[in-house]
Amino acid sequence: MMSTKVVRSSGKNLGGAIRTMKKVLSVILCLTMTLSMMVAFGSASAEASKGVINVYSFTDEVPKMLARYLELNPDFGYTINPTVIATTDGLYQPALDQALAAGGADAPDIYCAESAFVLKYTQGDMSSYAAAYADLGIDVEAATKAADIAQYTIDIGTRPADSKLVGLGYQATGGAFIYRRSIAKDVWGTDDPATIATKVGPGWDQFFAAAAELKAKGYGIVSGDGDIWHAVENSSEKGWIVDGKLTIDPAREAFLDLSKKLKDGGYTNDTKDWTDAWYADMKGIGAQPIFGFFGPAWLINYVMAGNSGGTKVGEGTYGDWAVCTPPVGFFWGGTWVIANAASEKKEAVGKLINWITLQCDDKGLQYYWANGTLNGEGGTKDTVASGTVMAMSNGALDFLGGQNMFDVFVPANQFANGKNLTQYDETINNIWRDQVRQYTAGNLDRDAAIAAFKQSVSDQLGIEAAQ
Amino acid sequence: MSQSGKQVKSVSYAKYGYLFSIPFIVTFLIFSLYPTVFTAIIGFTDFKGVTATTFNFLKDPFANFVGIINNVTFQNSLKNTLIIWMINFIPQIGLALLLTAWFTNRSRKIRGQGAFKVLFYLPNIITAATVAILYSAIFGYPVGPVNDILASLHLINKPFDFSTDPWAAKLVVAFIQFWMWYGYTTIILISGVLGINPELFESAEIDGATPRQTFFRITLPCMRTILLFTLITSLIGGLNMFDIPKLYIWNGGPANATMTTSVFIYAQAFSGSYMYNRAAAASMIMFVIIAILSAFVFYLMRDKYESRSKKLIRMAKRANRKAKKGVAV
Repeated sequence: MMSTKVVRSSGKNLGGAIRTMKKVLSVILCLTMTLSMMVAFGSASAEASKGVINVYSFTDEVPKMLARYLELNPDFGYTINPTVIATTDGLYQPALDQALAAGGADAPDIYCAESAFVLKYTQGDMSSYAAAYADLGIDVEAATKAADIAQYTIDIGTRPADSKLVGLGYQATGGAFIYRRSIAKDVWGTDDPATIATKVGPGWDQFFAAAAELKAKGYGIVSGDGDIWHAVENSSEKGWIVDGKLTIDPAREAFLDLSKKLKDGGYTNDTKDWTDAWYADMKGIGAQPIFGFFGPAWLINYVMAGNSGGTKVGEGTYGDWAVCTPPVGFFWGGTWVIANAASEKKEAVGKLINWITLQCDDKGLQYYWANGTLNGEGGTKDTVASGTVMAMSNGALDFLGGQNMFDVFVPANQFANGKNLTQYDETINNIWRDQVRQYTAGNLDRDAAIAAFKQSVSDQLGIEAAQ
Repeated sequence: MSQSGKQVKSVSYAKYGYLFSIPFIVTFLIFSLYPTVFTAIIGFTDFKGVTATTFNFLKDPFANFVGIINNVTFQNSLKNTLIIWMINFIPQIGLALLLTAWFTNRSRKIRGQGAFKVLFYLPNIITAATVAILYSAIFGYPVGPVNDILASLHLINKPFDFSTDPWAAKLVVAFIQFWMWYGYTTIILISGVLGINPELFESAEIDGATPRQTFFRITLPCMRTILLFTLITSLIGGLNMFDIPKLYIWNGGPANATMTTSVFIYAQAFSGSYMYNRAAAASMIMFVIIAILSAFVFYLMRDKYESRSKKLIRMAKRANRKAKKGVAV
């Protein structure tokens, strides 16, 4: 009897304690909810006098720019609501597609597209959602001329259905040949960009002649076949798909032979891009020292500088680099900014897009971006879409031994071609480069590699090869 | 007692059971059942393209299924999946059995068992993405630890490209799967052995059975259910293998050597053409294949004595009924 009583009473106490705790908890919960609601309404009433602009992006680059715009223009009156979804795992596109298709107040007003898939949004399946820049209150003809926007950027951003411009980038991603000064001096006695440009180019024959000269002194000309791919890809006349059929442009088919030549001649370290061995060649610690890389300015700033084994001149390969005109013109990467045709805030959206993509004075985004001053002095310098801005900016980098990279990159943008892309490029390029490696490794002969490529594209994408 | 008896009402606790199961049922219906049924349906439709929101049933309802079965890349991916699963599972179950035999050996106590178990299980805790990056660094080309070791042992005179050779890529993926899962299988098997009645082992010991005899005559036969469980879960997991093949080498690996059916299905649906209907058809085909193979494994692993005795019981019952009928007539 005693024991049961004790248990029961202690049970009662416990129950009481739990009840008190519940009360306390519910009070706390209520308080937090009310507080958070007050905060939410408070911020909304304080700022959003005009409304919210939704922005979809795959990096925080554009949202950060817009945040800076709000700081610079406190009377703009809109709040920015950014949604950032990385492109890894292919998550960005489905999310963006659904947000666009669903519409309503949460639909993106501004969205970003990377060069790998921008065509889907400017020319392909999703292009009907894009607003023409002209409808945003932008005088397209005059503005693009004043800003001196490269033709390939405009080509990619132009919707074929009505020939209207729907997207532009803020970066220019025209490519150059980026080479080691010390190796150039050893082989040709000079590191002058104008002279080196005539050694490695123009054209692939000249390039391979230079490769042989470099090889004689124990150097490789590039790290792997992936380095020349972007130049080969962009120099073709036609894209992968012509009239709905898979087509292999002769320039792209020649990649088989160029790649084989590189491997058989020992002109490379046979690396793949974005692997440790590739980065090692930027540091100059591969099997044989590598002369150069093909790339736009972002490759220098965001990839090579960090992998050069140093942070100031004299450390690693830092400061031992220079840029010159590549043997074949090309571009690689870039972000295009697009507005939603269904947006009700077109005027405000137009202001933002104009500031990012077209404004070419020293108050525009591109001036800050080119000189690395968006968030104060000393930021990363980059090439921008506007030639006008680049002409008045200083692209001198310690990494390039003080060379003003804009001297090379401004003309480079004119060589790039924006008319040979398709929305399937990312997948098809991967299949093609894999088969090319099978061929150069000797696992398949030339015809078998091409046949396997066509088979894979047909099976994976449902796109048949042209006869 | 009588006082408290008044307070106790006849409360039906069943309703709380239903109440508490609502979240699960709702989640299951929305995130599990609905997608499965939807997938089964769109396999018969023309649902493709990124902007597609509506779809129609095809005139030839099995067109997608026929297309997938005749798809050379799908056939290859099915072969790859089976090959990679087998070269990963056979050594995996072998090593797991060996470790189980050692760890549950009654005559030899191994010290630090807990530490070993944790170490063996560790690869399973690491995320697949991390493992994939780790291994692509280990098997790096032209410079990487494995190439360096092979070169310093003079086994190769120039670096070997593990990610371009189709068989090397398959073996590496199979090895990663093996390395990630042998610890898990070992733990499961050990728990299976611990569940066996110790008296059996004691009497075997008294009767003078050697450890080898004990393992093959007592431990293994008593582990039938746990082995069946391991085999079935590994089969299903192996045929759905996706993360490592997808992450170790992108896009199916060299000459599609590491393209498993799941990677193929993903590519159909999300890598450019958005052929949801064909991906759904391929998923359903895989569902049928896995169901058939699982049934086959169940059949192979059935308890022969038990099924025979069940059969005898059935026959006896039938005979009994017949006899009764005969009496009635």
